[in-house]
Amino acid sequence: MDALFLAEVMLAGIGSGALYALTGVAFVLIYKATRVVNLAIGEILMLGGYAFLGFAAGLGLPAIAALVLAVVTGGLLGWLVERSLIRPMLGESPISVFMVTIGLGSILVGLVQLGWGADPLRLPEFMPATPVFIGDAYLAPKVAVGFVAAAVVIAAFLALFRFSRSGVALKATAGDQGAAYSVGIDVPRVFSAAWILACATAAGAGVLVGAIGGISPTMGVFGLSVLVVVIIGGLDSIAGALVGGLLIGLVEALAGAFLGGEYKLVVTFTLLLLLLMVRPYGLFGTHEIERL
Amino acid sequence: MTAFEPNRRRIIAGTAAAAGAMAFGFGRASAQAGAPIVLGGSIPLTGVFAFAGIGIHAGIQDYLKILNDGGGIKGRPVKYVAEDTAYKVDASVAAFNKINSQEKVSLYYGDSTGFAKTINSELDRRGTMIMAGASFATELNDPKKYPLQFMAGPDYTEMFGILLRYIAKEKPGARVAFVYSDTEFGRDPIVLGEALAKELKLAVVEKIVTPPGSVDVSTEVLKLRRANPDFTIFHGYVLAPIPEFITQAKQMGMRSAFMGTFWTMDNSTVQRMGDAAEGFMGVMPYRYYYDRDGSAPMLDRIRQMRPDYQSTGYLQGFVTAMLLTEAAKRTLDAGKDLTGPNLKAGLNSIKDFDTGGLFGVPISIPGNSVPVGRIYRFDAKAKQMQPASDWIKL
Amino acid sequence: MRIGTLKTSYAADEALFDTALQRGLLVALLVAAVVFPFVASPYWLFLACLCAINVASATGLNLLTGYTGLVSLGQAAFMSVGAYTVAVLEIRLGTPFALNLLIGAGLAAAIGILVGIPSLRVKGLYLAIATIAASVILHFLFSHWTLTGEARGLSMPPARLFGIAIDQPFSLYWLIMPVTMLMVLGAANLLRTRIGRAFIAVRDRDISAEVLGIPLLRTKLTSFAISSFYAGLAGGLWAYFFRVVTPESFPLDNSIFYLAAIIVGGMGTILGGILGAVFMTLVPELLKFGANWLTPIYPDALSALAPVRTIVFGALIVGFLIFEPRGLVEIWVRIRRFFHLWPFRT
Repeated sequence: MDALFLAEVMLAGIGSGALYALTGVAFVLIYKATRVVNLAIGEILMLGGYAFLGFAAGLGLPAIAALVLAVVTGGLLGWLVERSLIRPMLGESPISVFMVTIGLGSILVGLVQLGWGADPLRLPEFMPATPVFIGDAYLAPKVAVGFVAAAVVIAAFLALFRFSRSGVALKATAGDQGAAYSVGIDVPRVFSAAWILACATAAGAGVLVGAIGGISPTMGVFGLSVLVVVIIGGLDSIAGALVGGLLIGLVEALAGAFLGGEYKLVVTFTLLLLLLMVRPYGLFGTHEIERL
Repeated sequence: MTAFEPNRRRIIAGTAAAAGAMAFGFGRASAQAGAPIVLGGSIPLTGVFAFAGIGIHAGIQDYLKILNDGGGIKGRPVKYVAEDTAYKVDASVAAFNKINSQEKVSLYYGDSTGFAKTINSELDRRGTMIMAGASFATELNDPKKYPLQFMAGPDYTEMFGILLRYIAKEKPGARVAFVYSDTEFGRDPIVLGEALAKELKLAVVEKIVTPPGSVDVSTEVLKLRRANPDFTIFHGYVLAPIPEFITQAKQMGMRSAFMGTFWTMDNSTVQRMGDAAEGFMGVMPYRYYYDRDGSAPMLDRIRQMRPDYQSTGYLQGFVTAMLLTEAAKRTLDAGKDLTGPNLKAGLNSIKDFDTGGLFGVPISIPGNSVPVGRIYRFDAKAKQMQPASDWIKL
Repeated sequence: MRIGTLKTSYAADEALFDTALQRGLLVALLVAAVVFPFVASPYWLFLACLCAINVASATGLNLLTGYTGLVSLGQAAFMSVGAYTVAVLEIRLGTPFALNLLIGAGLAAAIGILVGIPSLRVKGLYLAIATIAASVILHFLFSHWTLTGEARGLSMPPARLFGIAIDQPFSLYWLIMPVTMLMVLGAANLLRTRIGRAFIAVRDRDISAEVLGIPLLRTKLTSFAISSFYAGLAGGLWAYFFRVVTPESFPLDNSIFYLAAIIVGGMGTILGGILGAVFMTLVPELLKFGANWLTPIYPDALSALAPVRTIVFGALIVGFLIFEPRGLVEIWVRIRRFFHLWPFRT
């Protein structure tokens, strides 16, 4: 295998890793704020893709408007889910809440199938088709666009947490809910905000993922890889999601290129198991100390 | 199962029948002359295979309507009893059990390879029916192991054979790549297909496996470009990720022709590939709904009954129902009972049979498959798959 | 009306079924189970067998998740271990089915222990993910190993007893139902032993349990072992039932199904596992029935069936967790209490 091929494979891996990272950030956001492991993240992503299709192909809106509306739909869904399903479960065991999100995922898949059928569909083309060459290495234009979009959104998030009031409120809530309450932070609002933001992000990621590979009710399995990403990075670490996303993207691409496509999932999950043995809370996760 | 078991069972069941057997629907229709012949079906009306299942369902119904309007088989109508399976094996088995507990079934349509394998020993044990279905798995094309089953077309390996023969004729010594999904469906023809390619002096330069349900194929496309094939055959998919594969490959300036197998070949499926569809080829055992070359009285009938385009699934269901009932007709003509082995013998007696033009050539069924097909190529201007070769008989 | 617990012996206090009514119901249920196959059509027998297999597996998961508090999304994968083992043994060696079932279950238990080892270090959701990882790896193994027939899977001959093939819903019923009943009874009894009580202690607060002198790792691994033993046995029954085992027979969705079954039925009660598994198995059939009934009025009913089934599945999980977290069992208890206290009201 020559160096050029290796470079191309790694570029493709980093490209898809950026989408993992973006979805991973959405996942971490929810976990940080509300301690909910949202297994429906893949399905929310899927819904984003379908919403885009509905706005762009169904209503004939231009791609940009459809993208914005898809993101807004994701946000609305996040708000709805938080208020109707997650809020009533406050204080229940984490396992129950996690099962609620599994149920939610199932409901979303069913709704999408009811509306659009079970067949895979393609989003209208809205991305440039001219190939991108970095040096001599080829990079699929869609993957390049996906990478740039993901990088911009993640950078915006990082800036938000660092510099805005609500970002600080989020960090405070994540650190200690009780303390956050006592200094006057509206914790329920932080919860809502986190869900809205995260689901909007996931929906946006869904449009990117759907533009690259098409959409289908089963594209929620993307969430499975995202799960690996956030567990490897540490459930409550944004940096972890970034590193984990790129790492998993790379590993999958390399495994696909040198072992064969069927090895992708098994390699990442084996990596996950090994890592769990060594660092049970991921690369950057907080180790919680339990007290009686 | 020995003969002893059902007997004992019937006796006990008889005594207990008063205790509410009727509530569970134990009644069985007896097979008198004039009584309907039953075609049962485990049909995937919902789920991932619904796009084909809905067509299959309509195709079977339409053919039986034509048959019954013409007086049925020797005065006996054919009754169609179907259940939805959502393309799940356990649901298919449940449907099979349910239909068989309510009707005396002679012909059956099964929806998947898994179901065909699961139910095979039960078919042998009952010995009362023959089955065909949506699976073209190579494994099923073995009259010894699957004596009471068949498929209304070439098996997947034979489809590869037809494609490879076409390639060998178009460009002797061509470089060929296989792209297939990591499923039973995808892996089916690969090993035998590669051997056949060697026989035809074609070079298989790359075999790419994609994980099921994968959407991101950028790495795989890179591999494909390295291999630089003249022809790329996709198998084990319906649509995704074929369009993305082709789009990216074309963007990279690849010159390969792209090909698919039966379940990808529906005209509306290929149309959904968008720009990637141009020049897409594949193997098809039947004529398309809109084909007007040659005489095809049965297609004319279909176009009369259904003014709109009908899918390849529809044609598959239609043809399957035709062959199943033809087997029943030949069995009754020979003055034999409708048992599984008799029906299969009737089916195998089909020789140079005219399907009303649905298959482009007269067909024979010496074993479990009908190894006939033609290469079609998508014409973006006409938005249709157009014939690219003559009918190829293996 | 029952006014109190008036037991005069330890035996009475320890009894699994402590009232005459319960014992009466049990006898009635047993009689019904024996009579059922003689009056039911093969279709209903088929459903009964499917329910029984699901009950067996759900009861196993209930021991792990409901009683020990360890979430597993690998129950279907453990079932596949049992199913594949049984299929391989039956095809290659033709050993008696009882032995095959036990070996399959034993192997599943061994793999369960292996998967449970991370539970030493990780808890809750990290552990759930580890079990998903194990399922992915097992799935890969089965779909690429020649011994397990690669992607094609294995078709196997039926179980045989004294030369008679057990291949009909009728005869399979007599294989599956008794095994399931024994398994459920075993689980109910296990919970009255030291091991079972240790499970509950670990669930309620693992650190406190350790302080009390319960060896944490051993208890957790025991729970994993027993739970996957149940799964393996259920998988073996499944294999004899369908006689085809493929990599797609035990998808991750099935693991979720069992988790959903014990949630809907009621986690941490034996009855809950039974009710939940039966209920969740029959709901799709009921929906199909409803769709058939609706078809004359609304012709598209059948094509809406699959999505509706998915939605109902999710809605049941969510609905029970929010409105009836203790599951169907709680509803049953309320009914019972009503009769116990009758004519007074709670």
